[in-house]
Amino acid sequence: MLNISRNIDKFLFRILEKQLVLTYATAPNIEKEEEFRVLNLKHVKGQVTVRRPAKKAEVLPPRSMQMAVDQDWGNVWPGPRTFHPATVPLPVRQGYSEKGVSPSKYGNAELMKIPNFLHLTPPVIKRQCEALKKFCTTWPKSLDTDEKCEKHFPVEVWSSTYCHSSPTIRDPLSRIVTVKFKLKALQLNARAKDKFLRLVGERYDENTDTVTIVTDRCPLKKQNYDYAMYLITALYHESLNVEPWEELKSEADMEQYIWENNASKANIEKIFGKEAKEIPQIQIYSEAVDKYMNEGESEYTINNYGEAVRRILNIPLTPL
Amino acid sequence: MIKSVASEAVMRRICISLKSSQFSTASQVQPNAKPPSFRTSENDPQKHTTAHIGQFYQIPTKERKIFLYGGLPKSYEIQTKTFNETCIMIRKPSIDIINCLKSLDYSKPAVRFVLFGKKGNGKSLSLAHVLHYGYKSGCLLVHVPWVGNWMRRCKETSNSEAKEGHIDLNLDAAAWLVHFKSQNEHLLNNPELKISKDHVWSKRENTPKGAPLTELIDFGINRIKYASSCVVSLAEEIKQLTTGGHCKTLVAIDGFNAFFYPNTRVFTEKKQIVHPHKVTLTEAFLNLTKFDWNNSAILLTQLLKKIRRLIYLDIFWDEMDLNI
Repeated sequence: MLNISRNIDKFLFRILEKQLVLTYATAPNIEKEEEFRVLNLKHVKGQVTVRRPAKKAEVLPPRSMQMAVDQDWGNVWPGPRTFHPATVPLPVRQGYSEKGVSPSKYGNAELMKIPNFLHLTPPVIKRQCEALKKFCTTWPKSLDTDEKCEKHFPVEVWSSTYCHSSPTIRDPLSRIVTVKFKLKALQLNARAKDKFLRLVGERYDENTDTVTIVTDRCPLKKQNYDYAMYLITALYHESLNVEPWEELKSEADMEQYIWENNASKANIEKIFGKEAKEIPQIQIYSEAVDKYMNEGESEYTINNYGEAVRRILNIPLTPL
Repeated sequence: MIKSVASEAVMRRICISLKSSQFSTASQVQPNAKPPSFRTSENDPQKHTTAHIGQFYQIPTKERKIFLYGGLPKSYEIQTKTFNETCIMIRKPSIDIINCLKSLDYSKPAVRFVLFGKKGNGKSLSLAHVLHYGYKSGCLLVHVPWVGNWMRRCKETSNSEAKEGHIDLNLDAAAWLVHFKSQNEHLLNNPELKISKDHVWSKRENTPKGAPLTELIDFGINRIKYASSCVVSLAEEIKQLTTGGHCKTLVAIDGFNAFFYPNTRVFTEKKQIVHPHKVTLTEAFLNLTKFDWNNSAILLTQLLKKIRRLIYLDIFWDEMDLNI
């Protein structure tokens, strides 16, 4: 133990010695007239070794500086790719900073995260369309309006195909099939239409009168398409079928308010003591109540109803 | 630049006000000054017309007593104390209703009016205006100040004896009877108002046929145990009397849809929520709002806050809706 410490001491002493020697050796040349040199123990670590200055890598100017204005962009950005600031010659800014301007494109994670469509500029699309044209047939001339298209081809089938360049080329999303058609193409009567709508539920859009059926429960696209077709057939035939329990439909099940069957008619008959048909102005009143119940409460329906009641009960109309 | 313009405008305004010698901080209007255009001196609702719309009229102190036990919103009451006067703005819906009431054919079944609108739009005060009109024109006032008070802050509940499974709100019923009595004091002295049938409350207590209406009311106030059933009988009697032509009635209920909303804060002894239809008081007022009697008019207000407007299909909905 003691040996080691003695050795360490010797070692340290030798280092100190060396450093002292160096200090004297490398000290600046003072006039040789001085006999004694100044002992400088403070700058021991002085100029031991001059570190090599770190080589700064030469940063080339961004490639966008060397791009010609009339270059073919489709060659620069041939396919979908994350945003690369040096390659895109646009001064794009994205993001928010509280004080100051939006961050620039360099080192901008936001720009890299969002999808970009730099691979689908109009000239590129045009080129792709030209390339695909030889596989297409011309659009039939007689199908020039939407109505004709709907009349002859009422059913639309939507599906996507995917192609990967990884070990599997398949994508499970390609089995999804969407079938859309307009309800008026089925030409159902009122009762059947009501039944159809109850069966179909949320898949019907009132504004566009379209029924959308999305199938994805089978593994293959063809199977899903067949299933969708089967669903449409089943729905159609089921809604045309009249079941015996459908006659039990009561006022509470009605999807629409019909004035004839409701308490409102009974009440107005009681008030007047006459049959509904004989009461003057009853038409306006029944229509107003129908509208109010079916369309919901809005300023128009309420005012309409108020006016109708005033007329029927002979009460002065609202002052202007 | 802007500052000087603003100060100029201020100076101009001060000059004008000095010229017209009306100081906004004065509590008394000078005798020769013109009354401000937002007030009208016409304090009788029977004479209010569309020309008065937008102006404030003052309810005289003598007639203020109809609102003694309720009828004006609380925040408004505080303001009447501050300003030392009860002023209501004359608004189109109330003028509309008053107009209709004037031209109504009272031999036909009762017409029902509904005031509805967003919170703070003036439904309760319009009701108060029409109530004042009713008071002035000599109608019997059946006024429920705020149904929410009964359904949500009932003072005391008890199981009803007369009806199985129903709940009585006796203290509230007695309070309402006091309110009814104070509103209609001048009319109840009329000797024509007599009860049409016997009301038996218990073995020893009954109100005989032919007794004046005041006796029925007093009984309800004194015997709180039977107050709710008293209210129900009173409603019946009022209908009979009105149909018979002894008096005209104005039924005014503030917050009517509280009678339908299932989530009340009335609880049974077992802490179960009581639906309003199980409260005896409801029956009385629903009876009054039917259209099987004439010589009367019914005015209802919608209660807002957490209660949504209800549309009740199987009960009457022949009401007139007035937009505010």
